[in-house]
Amino acid sequence: MIEFNRFKLGNGLTVLHHFDAATPMVVVNTLYDVGARDESEEKTGFAHLFEHLMFGGSVNIPDFDAPLQHAGGESNAFTSNDITNYYDILPLQNLETALWLESDRMISLAFTPKSLEVQRNVVIEEFKQRYLNQPYGDVWLELRPLAYKEHSYKWATIGKKIEHIEEATMDDVKAFFRKHYHPANAILCIAGNIPLEETKRLVEKWYGDIPASLKPQRILPKEPAQNEFRELTIERKVPNDAFYYSFKMPERRSFEYYVTDIISDALGREKSSRLYSILKKELKLVTSVNAYITGSLDEGLLIIDGKLSDGVSFGQLDGALWKVLEGLKTELMSEEETSKLLNKIRTVKEFQEQGLLNRAMNLCLYELLGDANGVNEENTLYQSITAEQIKTVSNQILRKENCSLLRVKSIKE
Amino acid sequence: MNVRSQQPETKQVDQISFVKPHIFDVTQYVKLLWMKDVPNETVRLDLFFDAGITRGRESIPAIVHSLLLSGTDEWSSVEIHKQIDALGGFLDTDISFETAVVSIYCLREHLRKISEIVANAIRGLAFRENEVEDVLRSMRQQFAVNQQKVKYVAQQQFRKYLFASNEDYSTISVEADYDRIRVSEYKKYWKEHYLNGLTRITLVGDLEQDEVDALIDLFGKWAIDGEAQYAGDFKFQPQRVDFPKEDALQCAVRMGRFLFPKNHPDYIDFQVLNTILGDYFGSRLMSNIREDKGYTYGIGSGMMDMNHTGYFVIVTEVGKEVLENTLHEIRFELKRLQNELVPEEELELVKNYMLGQLLKNADGPYAMLDMYNSVDMYNLTLVFYDEAIQKIKSITPERIQLLAKQYLNVEDFLIITAG
Repeated sequence: MIEFNRFKLGNGLTVLHHFDAATPMVVVNTLYDVGARDESEEKTGFAHLFEHLMFGGSVNIPDFDAPLQHAGGESNAFTSNDITNYYDILPLQNLETALWLESDRMISLAFTPKSLEVQRNVVIEEFKQRYLNQPYGDVWLELRPLAYKEHSYKWATIGKKIEHIEEATMDDVKAFFRKHYHPANAILCIAGNIPLEETKRLVEKWYGDIPASLKPQRILPKEPAQNEFRELTIERKVPNDAFYYSFKMPERRSFEYYVTDIISDALGREKSSRLYSILKKELKLVTSVNAYITGSLDEGLLIIDGKLSDGVSFGQLDGALWKVLEGLKTELMSEEETSKLLNKIRTVKEFQEQGLLNRAMNLCLYELLGDANGVNEENTLYQSITAEQIKTVSNQILRKENCSLLRVKSIKE
Repeated sequence: MNVRSQQPETKQVDQISFVKPHIFDVTQYVKLLWMKDVPNETVRLDLFFDAGITRGRESIPAIVHSLLLSGTDEWSSVEIHKQIDALGGFLDTDISFETAVVSIYCLREHLRKISEIVANAIRGLAFRENEVEDVLRSMRQQFAVNQQKVKYVAQQQFRKYLFASNEDYSTISVEADYDRIRVSEYKKYWKEHYLNGLTRITLVGDLEQDEVDALIDLFGKWAIDGEAQYAGDFKFQPQRVDFPKEDALQCAVRMGRFLFPKNHPDYIDFQVLNTILGDYFGSRLMSNIREDKGYTYGIGSGMMDMNHTGYFVIVTEVGKEVLENTLHEIRFELKRLQNELVPEEELELVKNYMLGQLLKNADGPYAMLDMYNSVDMYNLTLVFYDEAIQKIKSITPERIQLLAKQYLNVEDFLIITAG
């Protein structure tokens, strides 16, 4: 159970407070309700580039990191297709430094040309390092536009192409900030050995005078229902053929989301999962196979990926794989298997609640979904899932017309 | 109104409470460290073996490590994993230079059962032919993928050249290691390094004493009979070696040299120097090469601990066209540390940052156990950290300059590039 308090400032900032007397550290976590899905198709990669710029100095403070390090703390951030999340961890006695820094960059950034120029280069190197210069690194750049035709999930957080990052202008950056970075679009969590009243006083002190803006309305193109099997084969200089089956799945707020999560676990999370034991161990068709979900807030993807063994064709794999999927659709899962999957979920939840930062990030994410307390209800939701529901949802999702298949064909150098 | 241009007052971390785990002697050579105060149901058990990648040739240490849970006469690997999964347990295995670790994560009510499953699986390891084939097939493919990663190539070649004087340490994997099944050699290695190779046990969890005793009974039989033997005193040739890869977009760089083991009197002071140079976000390498030049997504430096020595390494991946510029800037930063005193303000910041990190690294039973273990493994005690606080607080710019002159001469470095 993660206890928390919630209050709101006059300018619209939502604040969560989580008390933990056992730690000498404090976490300041800020979630901005903006991700790559909020970009325009002509300027992708922007939410992520912007995350980098958030460390390039703010209106009153030339450098973000140095004062935090001076206070014994550290900071980082990540951008997904849905959100951008920033966190600071520092000794409790220096909490105000983090509030000072975070509130100042919520007022405005410094917007120096140098910062934009350098971070453009850094992000381009990141693009190369993570997506272009790795075997199989570019599959998400290919898979997303195959699975999504309209919704902005069709591009990756890093962006569609390097040119979009190269072409980013200062005007673009400023407009992005004005639209998405203000109190009403943020959720702040303070976690540590600090009483609620003191938290209120300090948050009011540093954030209270930040001007309010209206929360931007999110109108994203709706992804039409997929009614046909899609496939794409790309050739790359990689050692082995690889496959990525992706299935559309329900949005984050629905109950079926949790059921789909369990389905992906049953298929390929562990070394006792169905795909692993049949395709790898029994039939030896693959050298690796995994199933997982993207965890997206809007309609997301269940992915099955893996690499073929030498001499095995995509066709051989395809037949065997669909047979495994059919099993979930036609037969009720045994109680032994459901209880195995749910026991694993329970362990994961317990370990997740270990870390202070994890707790703060999860509270913010659930608040974005509607209620921070969702973090405490999640395990009960999972534990309520039945074999019938697993079968029903398997039939909804694991259909050929709901599938987009990317094949990576190995070509020799 | 707040004065927003001025940082609120800060206080340096003054005291850190380091908690010592309970320590049991499993045998004369093997200890069990136990951190008992855990405010929830979670448990972690780690088994350490004298079975790191330097303990054998032809990738046998890594192959046997991957085979540990691959089945007994009675159970297949899938069946073993099913039993563990049914209890909600997670296994994690890790192999490094001188040590291999098998870890169990679970809720405390299941620890005993899961431990027994793992113990039976390792003790009864049958080297079933189909399982061995499967593991070799996967490893061979992973090897092929890794060969395409400039980062991996640089890391492997750095090892090969740095440890050149000792073949056990310098021999890197080749594809042929995975081509032939050598069950008798695997068996010999498994008996020597696992069934008689346990070097320590660590445990975090709110358990009863009798549960801990049961673990000692269960795994104590594998205790190593004598001190594990490690090499030291390696020799290498300072030089630059390039491994070109034509279609690569980036170049990976590894450069460094040997230093000293963790009990060396310069260890903490050098750690301050290392932090300034490359071990935090505001470090000189990051500030110059990422935040000023934009040559890379990341660059850092670190100290690697080994039992009888340690080494220093700078790590980055940069755009191919800026490789030489990057090496130039690295040299510039090394020279700058030798020729100029670190400004007081920067040193103050690094001191505060390092103390904050120490405080964080001691926060909670899991972090604290790892922290304790990482000194106890080298026969040091918590005094190491108390001294660290004092040394960090009192180090001077002059002392840092002296260390830079002694240890950071680029002429003494091995430089490997791949890409």
